Amino acid sequence: MASHRLFRFPKPQWLNNANTRTAGVYLAGALFSLGFFFFIDASAFSSSPRNGSKVHITFVDWIPGICSALGMLVINSIDKSRLAADSFSYSGNGVAWKARLVLFLGFALMAGGLAGSVTVMVLKYVVPEYPWPTLWFGVANVVANACIMLSSVVLWVSQNMEDEYTYNLAL
Amino acid sequence: MAGLKTIIALSFVLAIGFLLVILSSALWKNYLPLLVVATYVVAPLPNWICGRAANPDDLFESSGSGVIDFGRFLTGFLVVMGIALPVIFAHCAFIVPTAAVMSIIGGLLIYGTIISFTMFFQEQEEF
Repeated sequence: MASHRLFRFPKPQWLNNANTRTAGVYLAGALFSLGFFFFIDASAFSSSPRNGSKVHITFVDWIPGICSALGMLVINSIDKSRLAADSFSYSGNGVAWKARLVLFLGFALMAGGLAGSVTVMVLKYVVPEYPWPTLWFGVANVVANACIMLSSVVLWVSQNMEDEYTYNLAL
Repeated sequence: MAGLKTIIALSFVLAIGFLLVILSSALWKNYLPLLVVATYVVAPLPNWICGRAANPDDLFESSGSGVIDFGRFLTGFLVVMGIALPVIFAHCAFIVPTAAVMSIIGGLLIYGTIISFTMFFQEQEEF
């Protein structure tokens, strides 16, 4: 394994630890929750008595978050070991190709969610030049989508860790 | 090590946690912070359920680890939810900020009690 490295710096040893992997999964859940509740906060604030303006959270604001969550679901429901399985005999009929296609769809959904949240913020809140408590709706949307993306990255990395770990255990 | 003193201390901490949460609801006659208790009681459940659902014996067929990971993901989600709910309530003026702080501290005490209880008493079950 060590001679097949691509980069000059080796992967740190603590990355292959099982505890690190567990902590990464917990951290991913926490990050997703953080992003989700940032947006719920904006949504609840919009209908609370503190919201002095006439602007409210509508379904348009929900679309980027839904896209991001769907993309995260798609990305993390794929078995990562199928990605490099083109040379193995048991993965006929182009399993790796299908996995890459679905994975591409997932990443496109997630990037679309993040870009869409920025679009909603700019078009709905920045261009009409609303003051701060209303601008918070747009900012919270961007923060929520960024948190969901970060959570997905953490989950991806920790699931790849798991593969290495079980590989070492099986040998 | 898990003796009588541990049980007494844990129940003491649990009582303080419940006191804080109930006080934060009852002082302002607004019972929304009680949701924190429900969240923290539910939080360890996905770990247990998914730990039972997955078969930890087969190392080579790593099909069960996805279920375990999902349970851990849900637990992390619920723990942050217990902190985020009072903050949202306070931000949207549903409850007073003091009540939010009290219910967060109380909820963390309750969850810490549950976690340390399982940590102390899990070793004896698995011989």
